[in-house]
Amino acid sequence: MSFALAIDIGGTFTDVVLLERSTGTLSIVKVLTSYPDPSDAVLDGTRRILGETGCNPAGIERILHGTTLVTNTLIERKGAKTGLITTDGFRDALEIGREGRYDIYDLWLELPEPIVQRRHRVQVVERLNPDGSVRIPLDEESARLAATVLQEARVDALAVCLLHAYANSDHEERVRRTVQSVWPDVPVSCSHEVAPELREYERTSTTVANAYVQPLADRYLRRLEEGLRSQDLTAPLHIMLSNGGSCSTETARRFPIRLVESGPCGGALSAAEWGRQCGISRVLAFDMGGTTAKAILTDGGDFPITTESEVARVYRFKKGSGLPLLVPVLDMIEIGAGGGSVARLNDLGLPAVGPESAGSSPGPACYDRGGGEPTVTDADLVLGFLDPNHFLGGEMTLDVSRARDSIASLADSFGGSVMEAARGIHRLVNENMANAARVHAAERGVDIRPYALVATGGAGPVHATGVARLLGLPHVVVPPVAGVGSAYGLLLAPISFDFARTRVGRLEQLDVEQVNSLYGEMEGEGRQVVKEGGVSDEIQVARTADMRYVGQGHEIRVPIPSGELNQGSREAIQAAFDEAYRKAFGRICDGVPVESVHWRVTVTGPKPVPPPLRVAADSESAVKGVRDVLFVEGTEPVEATIYSRYALNRESQLFGPAIIEEAESTTVVPPGWVARVHACGALVLTHEEGDDG
Amino acid sequence: MGEMEYDGVTLEVLWSRLISIVNEQAAALMHASFTTVVREAGDLSAGVFDKQGRMLAQAVTGTPGHINTMATCVAHFVQRHPLESLKPGDSLLTNDPWLGSGHLHDITVVTPVFHRGAGVAWFANTCHAMDIGGRTLGAGARQVFEEGVNLPIIHLFREGAINEDLISILRANVREPDQVVGDLYAQQAGNDVGAEKLLAMMDEYALEDLEGLAEAILDRSEAATRDAIEAVPNGRYEDAIEIDGFDEPLMIRAVIDIGDRDLVVDYEGSSPQVGWGINVVYNYTHAYTTYPLKCAISPSVPNNEGSFRPVKVTAPEGCILNAQFPCAVGARHLVGHFLSQAVFGALSKAIPDRVIADGSAGLWNTQLEGVDLEGRRFAYIFFSAGGMGARPTADGLSATAFPSGIRGVPAEAIEAVSPVRMLRRELIPDSGGAGKHRGGLSQQMVLTVDSGLPAQHSCMYDRTRRAPRGFAGGADGKAGELFLSDGTPLAPKGTYDLQPGQTVTLRLPGGGGHGDPGDRLRSKIEEDIRQGRVTVEAAERDYGYRAS
Repeated sequence: MSFALAIDIGGTFTDVVLLERSTGTLSIVKVLTSYPDPSDAVLDGTRRILGETGCNPAGIERILHGTTLVTNTLIERKGAKTGLITTDGFRDALEIGREGRYDIYDLWLELPEPIVQRRHRVQVVERLNPDGSVRIPLDEESARLAATVLQEARVDALAVCLLHAYANSDHEERVRRTVQSVWPDVPVSCSHEVAPELREYERTSTTVANAYVQPLADRYLRRLEEGLRSQDLTAPLHIMLSNGGSCSTETARRFPIRLVESGPCGGALSAAEWGRQCGISRVLAFDMGGTTAKAILTDGGDFPITTESEVARVYRFKKGSGLPLLVPVLDMIEIGAGGGSVARLNDLGLPAVGPESAGSSPGPACYDRGGGEPTVTDADLVLGFLDPNHFLGGEMTLDVSRARDSIASLADSFGGSVMEAARGIHRLVNENMANAARVHAAERGVDIRPYALVATGGAGPVHATGVARLLGLPHVVVPPVAGVGSAYGLLLAPISFDFARTRVGRLEQLDVEQVNSLYGEMEGEGRQVVKEGGVSDEIQVARTADMRYVGQGHEIRVPIPSGELNQGSREAIQAAFDEAYRKAFGRICDGVPVESVHWRVTVTGPKPVPPPLRVAADSESAVKGVRDVLFVEGTEPVEATIYSRYALNRESQLFGPAIIEEAESTTVVPPGWVARVHACGALVLTHEEGDDG
Repeated sequence: MGEMEYDGVTLEVLWSRLISIVNEQAAALMHASFTTVVREAGDLSAGVFDKQGRMLAQAVTGTPGHINTMATCVAHFVQRHPLESLKPGDSLLTNDPWLGSGHLHDITVVTPVFHRGAGVAWFANTCHAMDIGGRTLGAGARQVFEEGVNLPIIHLFREGAINEDLISILRANVREPDQVVGDLYAQQAGNDVGAEKLLAMMDEYALEDLEGLAEAILDRSEAATRDAIEAVPNGRYEDAIEIDGFDEPLMIRAVIDIGDRDLVVDYEGSSPQVGWGINVVYNYTHAYTTYPLKCAISPSVPNNEGSFRPVKVTAPEGCILNAQFPCAVGARHLVGHFLSQAVFGALSKAIPDRVIADGSAGLWNTQLEGVDLEGRRFAYIFFSAGGMGARPTADGLSATAFPSGIRGVPAEAIEAVSPVRMLRRELIPDSGGAGKHRGGLSQQMVLTVDSGLPAQHSCMYDRTRRAPRGFAGGADGKAGELFLSDGTPLAPKGTYDLQPGQTVTLRLPGGGGHGDPGDRLRSKIEEDIRQGRVTVEAAERDYGYRAS
């Protein structure tokens, strides 16, 4: 028998799931995440799941792991004391940044503190030109001196980022050799390896972040591997990356920054997979938890990727307030809308919900843990969407009277009665999420209407139909095992790694030999990385280039033909650019020359295809009872039928008004909607035109 | 219909939907635009207006010079072309500096929206055009006629058909015709997206028109602004600053009269208009006056016609802040960017805790033109920021633009597309004014051009003669400087030939300090010394610091 094991570390729980491939049986263990060393909980979880299932460790073929370690290290600023060696005259690139403000009306804003203090940024004498030619040769003595200075300053990790090193790695490599000759055991991250892309601020920021998290990531992964081995788990361990793929621990140790923001990737992969199983290719993956909601658009399982990401924002929801990273990440939005989002009056005296959150402690008023402010969960409870005795599968009882009291304090401004105010809170949070999704789609030139919304997270299925109505989406999918969707998604991550090189030049003067050798280099490294992950056949190589019209400041991604490029390839590349440009902007500009900036390769191993899941059916009756629920569209509460999701038969259907309960979430089926249980186990909710006026 | 029509939740839902719609409008526009400053720096504005041309909501983008000028511009369109005279598919534009944002490079496109046959709203946006003919963008013109093509308010589209005559005239006059015309299509695409989404919202909520919603939004915003003004002590507060000017210093004098629930800013006593392209039209003065007022007094009130109502801005005709046709206006930001300092200077006497000290303010605009080593002509322009003034609660931000909202360009990006070489770019120790809170440090850049021939360097720099002022006992920031490799100083607004092999050093102005330097925490002084932001000598001189 063959198995795959996935381990996903979240803020509260560490989820461990074991998939038996032949039968599609999924076993789940949830343990509390351990601090300070999260590998304790991981090893506890794997021990328990092996014990509970009696699975033979030798039958496990692949182990996938998702961790928020890198992101948290940067947010909490708990990484290594890091030094930077850079070109003479440029030690302040990290601090000068892009000279802008991320909020134009806030006089009091603070910029993110650079990861490397100014006194630990040391300069070496050298200088390259943008084509990689040497302007000032490297003075190795200055590199030796830099190493000594930083050694005496007792830094624990080093970053080397020299101007234009993306075009010629020689000086950075020699600086590293020189440093290691006087200080052999210091870990060194070089910009030509971590992020060989033009723009010194972003490249330096990425390189120092890599150096900053490396010692911690290295220790953690080493401990984890040893621990797993001690449980006879010897299958290859693959680490989830922010691009939706995974890599070996060797690669993860060299480039730990590629793990950043990988947390939501599992959920996104899982949503796309459930869409596929329901026969839907265009999916708006919508995950709503306690504090935030996240959304991403995917088409046929392909995700939009951006290389302009940021981490550790000064203000969580203010774009531009974080540290920029040249790391390929899924292009996702996150907004301050969750079950814990607080309702209050804004400065204009108007009702508003979020982005402030009561979190899980003290949490919503109905948790009765000392929180008194009205939240989205309080509103959902008062409206009748949630069962006070069935929250988290009955592990927690919600206090309806506290929820009502908290909302009563705002009732006047939110609609009059407590019920009206609760409905106002529910409507406003839905509007916030729908507005964010609309603008996100518009920024990417996507028409959102043909997409289906796949809802996950504790609050996702409660709000999914409301958000879908606002966006004009007719279908909502609620996958099974929503509570471990992220861990399940890890099982779907292929081995995959991205490479990039910068060479700025006009297409008409393209040096095809140079491009061939860049692609050759990147593909060679790529195959190596994939092989380290234990894959030797079915390797896919996708080439792209970032190109623009001369004079533009932003590039678009253009697919590049595979194989050896020749003189005739220019026309093919121009045609590919035209097509990509037309797709993005609806037209092209004939006659305006085109230039390339970055050349990119993504190397991917085979995409795992999961078997259909077998979820145990419950013998209890599907109908649990009825209760009065006030839906957003109606004026009076109506009687809704309450179902247990576990007892619904495949292919059965039911009509709103209804509520479908399961341990981790509650699916709301308003009047005018019908819910079908798809053969794969997912609920598919469809809005039947006209039923609700 | 009055505000009573809407309960609070519905009003908030409709209002935030309007904001979402204008953000979609801006996104569609940015997505399709050709111009780097539009896409990279967000140098645009987009908004929705009611029947009468009152701005209801505005996209969260860009830079104050566009944001607030568009609001006043649309009223001119409504006056000349009332909704009844227009048809679906019509669209209008202008780049008249005196109607729009103060120079010919900004084109405003305004499109009426029809709902069931009746005109209900307008969408407008303003974008910086890549070129507009005439001389290139700069301060060197003597009259506006030299600065490019002036398009009065005319049709861009008539019932969906583009105005071919306009396009031919424009194409014949600009340097990058495909891209300039392409951007007009992008601007129209943004307005079309806005209109489509607005109509969908009106259908969804069964709105016949926007009048009731407009009243509710504008009245709420007006009231919130008036409440904010009420919290400022009544009085007459004034301030005057002197800046470099083009060839002789200029005075900006502001008097702010704060009443119970309104205020007036008057610029009487400021210098008269000049014979170079740095004159400011009234609209731009209004924009860069309301912007710092909003930052200090009412930052959380949304920008719309209602929030402008309680604020009146006046400047005498013929003054450099209400310059009259046909004076040259191309580089009006060189003066306009300093208005915030006179406004904050005056407000510091009323609400000292809510304004910041002077910073470098005017962006340093570097333009280099010449021939590269392969003999190709090149021209490259970039903007840089000095130090921001210190805040009453915190140090000023180093090398950060204010009041402009623009972003800078990395050295590698400049070098990759031009023979300009940036040999150094670093913060200047001791450039921030001393104070309880230190001014932001400025930056120094050393530039050369890899060419066998001289390159023309056009300078547009300020605050080299008078330093940015400290507030509340804080010391001034360092004034800017520029000089050649042999030490020859250069004029801040001159043009000269940079010889092959020669370098030019630009030292931008630092931010002023805030509060008595003697009150600065010793730990902060020591940290500044440790990080090389303040030298030991300066610490001893400016802070009376003694190493223990």
